[in-house]
Amino acid sequence: MNLLVEIQKSIEEHRDMNAFYIEGTYHTYKDFAQVISDIRNVIRNTVANDEAVVGLITNNDIHTYASIIALWMEGKGYVPIHPDFPVSRNEVIIREAEVNAILDSSTDQVFKTHNTISTRILDTVQIDLIPVSVKAEDLGYIFFTSGTTGTPKGVPITFGNLEGFIEAFWALDYTLDSTDRCLQMFELTFDLSVFSYLAPILKGACIYTIPKEEIKYSYIFELMEDHKLTFMLMVPSILHYLRPYFDEIDCTSVRYSLFCGEALPLDVTEEWSSCIPNATIDNVYGPTECTIFCTDYTYRRNDSNKTHNGVLTIGKSMKNTITLIVDEDENEVANGESGELCLSGAQLTQGYWKNEEKNKEVFFNKEYKGKQTRFYRTGDLCSMDDEGDILYLGRIDFQAKIQGFRVEISEIEFETKAILSKTNAVAIAFKNAIHHTEIGLAIESLVFDTKELIESLKTKLPPYMIPTQVKFVDKFPLNTNGKTDRKKLKELF
Amino acid sequence: MELHTIKNKVKDVLTSILEHNNFEIHDELTAKDVDGWNSLSHMMIITKIEEEFNIKFKLRELNKLKNMGALVTLIQNKA
Repeated sequence: MNLLVEIQKSIEEHRDMNAFYIEGTYHTYKDFAQVISDIRNVIRNTVANDEAVVGLITNNDIHTYASIIALWMEGKGYVPIHPDFPVSRNEVIIREAEVNAILDSSTDQVFKTHNTISTRILDTVQIDLIPVSVKAEDLGYIFFTSGTTGTPKGVPITFGNLEGFIEAFWALDYTLDSTDRCLQMFELTFDLSVFSYLAPILKGACIYTIPKEEIKYSYIFELMEDHKLTFMLMVPSILHYLRPYFDEIDCTSVRYSLFCGEALPLDVTEEWSSCIPNATIDNVYGPTECTIFCTDYTYRRNDSNKTHNGVLTIGKSMKNTITLIVDEDENEVANGESGELCLSGAQLTQGYWKNEEKNKEVFFNKEYKGKQTRFYRTGDLCSMDDEGDILYLGRIDFQAKIQGFRVEISEIEFETKAILSKTNAVAIAFKNAIHHTEIGLAIESLVFDTKELIESLKTKLPPYMIPTQVKFVDKFPLNTNGKTDRKKLKELF
Repeated sequence: MELHTIKNKVKDVLTSILEHNNFEIHDELTAKDVDGWNSLSHMMIITKIEEEFNIKFKLRELNKLKNMGALVTLIQNKA
């Protein structure tokens, strides 16, 4: 499979079909092809051949999506940069990824100091969707996720990884075609967005995005009802928001409803299934490091489903992924026993971007079926049953999931301590009254006004990482190992 | 219910959820103008308003709440 040729063929074949619905406006695949071609032209003229990746300001418009395809057609990868994230964090990403050029569709350029290329107003050129020849190891994108020492980790994903993912996804037998209307609810800095635009583009389907200022869950409902969405990937938090209104939802058009990014509880899924009576519901799982998602479980209607603590199984590995559950010494554990889930296969990243230390920590080689195979430690505690279905038991380390985003608790602590200097602080992920995960911050100090602290954190961390509650403790409790007792501190929230 | 009563109650809800009162209630006020009023707290604010006024919003109505004026009018029609 050649992913770029598949994209080219699909766009050409579906030229009169709608490609996007953005802020109330439809764009056909022909419109899309034109913007892609115009942006390719400017990339060729202004970006050096040896620049493997280009920054991309993630706006919600046709230019931004066309920029991704234009870069790919030129054999280049993109590094998404969120215009609403703190400048200092974005600058770290730009520096780490060695980004030189930045594509930006904003009317007011986000970065004035870099080689910013406006994609808003361009010369119109002949449509040209023929991709340059690319190698499997060329980069499709680098996404940055939360890191422990205040520096985000870059996860490079190649065209070979993407091809491995797409091939494995189609092998699951989703019958997506050009009549489908698909939801794209994710920020382009979140890799679930890649699936949400790429799968529809490859079939000539229409992609429905969410305007930045809208409340996501209620806007999704309107799209489902008014535009008869048929295909949607969402994070489970959306269901928690929608749950009080389930009795108002009856969307018979939905054919597929996929969930990824967080634990999917069975009880909510059961209730949701009545809102979308004709849909197949799937729970998919996977870290950014293994390209979007790599295991799949189809929810069984009116039948029993596999769960642990009320959370649905993440199912079996997809076609191009090998899953292995190991103990602390990297030995495979028996079925039914818990261990760390490790992944390998065509979707697996070559390693973190310029971060040998972290690579040594989380990648290891192990003989698997007679072959030396490179595995990635997910940090997820799992067990496998006799049928090969994987149960998700929880996190091994101190990562938390906030609104689907992976958050290293230690990064929040690092930034907090850097601001407070010599004051101990512990960040805690806790479930609030509506079962959402929030970040609480315990500070070992007498009470002080935290307004300044929170304001400083906002300049360092994206909004979902900002603590929503702060508690003061004279002296942190210790556990039997003499470590700060995080469980006790958690009880404060 | 009188408009100023509604507004005062809404102000109390915002203050209790957001834990500050650095805002003035007026018709053009939007979530963007108020610190900490994001999609997460929005849900909690809506739920609390429903409790306080003993009303229930329709999902579709939530999209029409473009500013404080729209919210107060909707509450008045329902309460």
